[in-house]
Amino acid sequence: MKSFLCFRWGRYADNLVRSYKYSPLTFLPLTLFEQFQRAANLYFLLMVVMQCVPVISSIPFYITIFPLLIVLSVRGLKDLVNDMARRRSDSEMNSRPCDVLDSQSFSRAQWKDVCVGDVLRIHKDQVIPADLLLLCSSEPHSLCYVETADIDGESNLKFRQALSATHNQLTSHPSEETLAAFDGVVLCEEPNNRLYTFRGQMHWRGESLLLDNEHILLRGTVLRNTEFAYGLTIYTGADSKILRNCGKLTVKRTRMERVFNQVVIGIILSVLLAALLLAIGAGVFSSWVMSHTGPTSALVINGNPVYTGFLIFWSYIILLSPAMPISLYISFEVIHTVHSLFIGWDMEMYWQQDNRPAQARNTSLNEELGQVGYLLSDKTGTLTQNRLLFRQCCIAGEVYGDASSKAEDTEPMDLSWNPFSCGGLFMSAPSLVQKLRGQQCPISCQFLRALSVCHTVMAEWKEEAPVYQAASPDEEALVGAARELGWVFLSRTRDFIVVSELGVTREYRLLALLDFTSHRRRMSVLVREPEGGLKLYCKGADLVILERLQKDCLHQERTERALELFSQACLRTLCVAVRSVPEASWEQWSKTLDQSATMVTSDRDALLEKLYDQMEIDLQLIGVTAIEDRLQEGVPETIALLQQAGLKVWVLTGDKKETAVNIGYSCKLLDPDTRLLEWQELRHILQSPDPGVTFFKVRQTELWAVDKQAAEAKTALVLTGPELAEFDQRPEWGATFMRLAEQCQSVLCCRVTPGQKADIVSLVRKHTRSVTMSIGDGANDVNMIKTAHVGVGLAGVEGGQAVQNADFALSQFRFLQRLLLVHGRWSYRRISFFLRYFLFKTCGFALVHIWFGFFNGFSAQSLYETWFIGLYSVFYTAFPVMCLAFFEQDVNAESSLKWPELYRSGQRQELSTYDFQTMAVTVAMAATFTANVEISLVTRYWTRLNVAAVCVSVVMFFICSRITHSTRLFKASPMDYFFLGASDRAFIDPLVWLTALLTTWTAVLPSMTALAINVILNMHDKHKVHSASSQPVELRSRLRRGASLRRSSYALSQGAGPGRLISSGTCIRSTVPTVDEQVTADNNSTDSQLQINMKNNIDAPNHA
Amino acid sequence: MVKEEKEIANRPDNTAFTQQRLPAWQPMLSAGIVIPGFVLIGLAFIGIGVALFVTSRSITVLEIDYTGIEKDSACFKCSNADVKNCVCNLEFSIDSLFEGPVFFYYGLSNYFQNYRKYAASRDDEQLSGDLDAFTAPSDSCSPYDYNGNDKPIVPCGAIANSMFNDTFVLYRVVNGANKLVPLDGKGIAWWTDYNVKFRNPSVTPLKNAFNNTVKPIFWPKPAYQLDASDPANNGFINQDFLVWMRRAALPDFRKLYRRITDGEYAKGLPAGNYSLTIAYNYPVQSFEGRKKVVFSNVSWMGGKNEFLGIAYLVVGSLCVLMSIVMLIVYAKFKFPEED
Repeated sequence: MKSFLCFRWGRYADNLVRSYKYSPLTFLPLTLFEQFQRAANLYFLLMVVMQCVPVISSIPFYITIFPLLIVLSVRGLKDLVNDMARRRSDSEMNSRPCDVLDSQSFSRAQWKDVCVGDVLRIHKDQVIPADLLLLCSSEPHSLCYVETADIDGESNLKFRQALSATHNQLTSHPSEETLAAFDGVVLCEEPNNRLYTFRGQMHWRGESLLLDNEHILLRGTVLRNTEFAYGLTIYTGADSKILRNCGKLTVKRTRMERVFNQVVIGIILSVLLAALLLAIGAGVFSSWVMSHTGPTSALVINGNPVYTGFLIFWSYIILLSPAMPISLYISFEVIHTVHSLFIGWDMEMYWQQDNRPAQARNTSLNEELGQVGYLLSDKTGTLTQNRLLFRQCCIAGEVYGDASSKAEDTEPMDLSWNPFSCGGLFMSAPSLVQKLRGQQCPISCQFLRALSVCHTVMAEWKEEAPVYQAASPDEEALVGAARELGWVFLSRTRDFIVVSELGVTREYRLLALLDFTSHRRRMSVLVREPEGGLKLYCKGADLVILERLQKDCLHQERTERALELFSQACLRTLCVAVRSVPEASWEQWSKTLDQSATMVTSDRDALLEKLYDQMEIDLQLIGVTAIEDRLQEGVPETIALLQQAGLKVWVLTGDKKETAVNIGYSCKLLDPDTRLLEWQELRHILQSPDPGVTFFKVRQTELWAVDKQAAEAKTALVLTGPELAEFDQRPEWGATFMRLAEQCQSVLCCRVTPGQKADIVSLVRKHTRSVTMSIGDGANDVNMIKTAHVGVGLAGVEGGQAVQNADFALSQFRFLQRLLLVHGRWSYRRISFFLRYFLFKTCGFALVHIWFGFFNGFSAQSLYETWFIGLYSVFYTAFPVMCLAFFEQDVNAESSLKWPELYRSGQRQELSTYDFQTMAVTVAMAATFTANVEISLVTRYWTRLNVAAVCVSVVMFFICSRITHSTRLFKASPMDYFFLGASDRAFIDPLVWLTALLTTWTAVLPSMTALAINVILNMHDKHKVHSASSQPVELRSRLRRGASLRRSSYALSQGAGPGRLISSGTCIRSTVPTVDEQVTADNNSTDSQLQINMKNNIDAPNHA
Repeated sequence: MVKEEKEIANRPDNTAFTQQRLPAWQPMLSAGIVIPGFVLIGLAFIGIGVALFVTSRSITVLEIDYTGIEKDSACFKCSNADVKNCVCNLEFSIDSLFEGPVFFYYGLSNYFQNYRKYAASRDDEQLSGDLDAFTAPSDSCSPYDYNGNDKPIVPCGAIANSMFNDTFVLYRVVNGANKLVPLDGKGIAWWTDYNVKFRNPSVTPLKNAFNNTVKPIFWPKPAYQLDASDPANNGFINQDFLVWMRRAALPDFRKLYRRITDGEYAKGLPAGNYSLTIAYNYPVQSFEGRKKVVFSNVSWMGGKNEFLGIAYLVVGSLCVLMSIVMLIVYAKFKFPEED
């Protein structure tokens, strides 16, 4: 079969991953091609070419090619090293082992050997090497579970199921033989990047079977909870879906880089203009020389002043080219890399718990960190820990637990009686435990039974204890709490849920799973209890459940009071209810359900929803769960600090408005007296004819006159997703909205989709000039992280997708203060000073030639010795400025955090010159001194390295000058080293020193004066920063707040729940009668026994 | 233990460098430092300026233009380009002792020795005595590389071709009789130029090296006959040639011609009348140039240079002035706050 499908293997990509770009042959041309796409490099190449033309060559070509070669080789080397690393990781991946069916048996092979058409055996916890069609697995009905964290960032398990045809035929013994005999032909669509759809057909034994996404195991996913899965390779290597998805990362460019590009264009234009004027001067001078017989007359080229002027124009362009800071790009890169390393090295941003330091994944955005004006944050997992703790519950109107104390301070209950207890319950309610153990309170038992049965959690056995894999952390918390209290969810098969209730193992037959959708906001399970009764267990948002209760439900009033209580404590609540379903109504209902299985998807969904509604009525309220969505450590302090630093912090969440507002209060985003401006009022302002002033009018008049005090109060906007959708129709509102938002303390956007999150970021980017930063942790934040100027990913509970796409990866939200206020501010200042100084250095260096043009007949005579031009920027002036760019600190880290106001300068972007040879040496000396004195003025943080760099630079000038002016070099090449002896004489001439000193001082006088005046004017501020005693940032109390809101939320998952896949066997194909296995329900049933029982499923015949 | 180590494997190094806590000196600038600093630097500059100015003032300079444009000028008869081998006498008197050692310069103005094409018009290989370059001069010498008959010119190039060829003889008029003032022409060129950079080919007699070459077009004599009085001072190491070949930086320049150091003139030129006999060969009027002779003595800072002293004074005063302005600004900002 392998030969059958593989004989045309040339049509398919092989399974080798080649993420490297270069081969030994293509490296040089490719890297050169890439680098000459940069304007400055191309400009310098042009200069080198022009310098090779003798008539216009004002300086020899090797002077320009020297720095150009350095720049090119450093960059090329960097690319090469990166490419080698990619090669290594490729080969590591390509040589991973996997089992390939080789005629009759499986043999070990490497990933790179896998071809289309191979049958592979995947072991538990193995990464899948190529896109496979699932043929069968070790689990019943050939179900298998995969973890897709590497693909979509969701850490919950997904279900895949083989076609029943292949399942039935291939699971007989021995599997190798039947698999080897498999001769189906698979037709599939062209390779594409759509991860969630697949269409194909399989022709086998005269049958044509449709294939879809459910039958596919994607490369990069991990097989979980399944002993073996057998798959037929359909896409390999570059054709696989995940690799098709590895689109090019759009390179984010910093604003500083854009400023730099403008500067480059400015320099080019100035050089062109200066060269033009000098060329006209040269033409005029030439015609004068022509009309007067003299020593230079015969040197006018072709005897034509116009032609001479034309050539001089090009000569001056060459001569003035050092004004173009060629090494700026490369210096930028080096500085950025070092700044990024500093971020990674920062102990204060190292999270010991996960052994994870901060990481700058994109090394070119550091200075943007110092200019952030808008911080757009995700809520769940970012502001909150996404570690949900079961803190309280209310059963039959009785409240258990106390949420007023911190979770860590809760007195642990004695749960030693429960062998499955493994901690993690932060609730103290001995009375409840007593009731449960005594079995005196059936409603409490029912409450816990509901928690342990009604969910979509999967149990995986590790070290004799169930480990829960849940689609949402809410469910995990609930099932976990039930486990601690004695109702242990042990395992699930397609048809059964096995629960150990206080040590007694009971099986609930799962008849139907009424799945969660964001619209329904609830989920239910219909189970047949071991005793035979039909029970519907339901949990959901309070509003939804409360309207579906029986009339005159017991405890309803007390329960609602408990809801109020929980919401005040910022807890997430869910109502739990139960219904006994009459046998007759179930039979009728299930018939209709079966019919729906044959319908088209869209109709079926509508019908199912209606059917579910019919089932979830007449509920009997059991109780309420209260889960604490814990804030991340230091979140309120960080937000307060960032707001002081002038950042606007917005929260974008998929959660409910109430939840978002409450988190807003608890994390100090909103002050207790903040006025919330909602959509109705906002709309009113936006629609007014003169919206620009209406906001203030509104403030002064109708809305604000009510409470004089409130007039000065802060305002916050609260929006929801559907309301935001209106912006699509009214694009003109965008600008007004942003002007309004600038006046507000914060903006909260709730119920927004990942797409809308990105739209909001785009809106802010479009209408303000501020730098935006997005921070999030989940796959749903990826879009906004990519859209913002700077994206930060939190390495949290929700998988690695956000981090993969982020520019910076942090472990804790509070590290943001250090990232922005310390690293960001320093980076911004360092790079601003660096850029300014660099331009000063290069322009000052080149401008001398314009002045000298007036004294040499505009002949493009270089004032400097050629070697000085080549070495000036590399050896004489580069080290101190690099040290400045690495180490400069105007205030230290502690003060940066203590005085967040200092950050504002970045947001306002506030930071953004005898004898011929002796004269040449004098000017060169002055230029070197000036450059080094100037850097000394700018440097405020003198480490030993800075001092060394300045000294080395000046000493280098003297040493290198002596070398290039030496007898030895002159003898080797008289044409290149004709400055022989110039520096020997110049360096002992006092006049040279005095002139250089005067020139240097005059050159730095303007910046010196500016500095001095600055010092005098800002003396008090700076002094304050440096000398202030260390007081912690005080945070105001958050306790005063308006009417409390009920906070019930049910954030099960972003889309529809996974219930359909779990129950695919029952809901959709429930006509299939399955043979009940006789599970030996032993009270002391152990892990191993359960495993054996589950194994039996493989052998059980299935009458499809 | 191994596990523990693994757990903190990614922990950053806690060093001063990685944590950006390198010991550093942070200059705390304040008005109390900046204003006195400016005053001090200003005063230092004024000090240097005064010293330079005084030194410069102590230097005596005597400049005499002999271009001969004015009709009453002694060299007027020579200013006509058609007159060949013209000699003119320049009479001048010195009132008091011209302190020695006296340096004798010739000066040219509106003369662009720094014109790029001119500056490049030479062959360093030829000038370092490379015989290959004698037969094939560098392109850079063009159009002074070959004569009309395709014979190589040695030395080639515009600089050599335009070598200054006026000669001067200085007499002191004592009781109506001209008494020769000895001029010292040794060591007026740079040591490196004389010993390293310019070399004659090691061919004796030197004349043979110049076989099959021609002298520069403007030159009356070939390079090996530049100094008839001293056979060693010929070829490329002729002192006057070396001085000429060291190009001037600016269009108005002077070059050292001779030193007056011998015998009775070691202490300077005594007061009295002098006569300078000039062999007027070099044409400058065609390009509106000027020629002059300069007598000057030197100090530690070289020749007379009043500009530098004045510049120091100006910059120094500027600093002091600025410190006063700063003081006023400082006072205005400081005192309202204290109220």
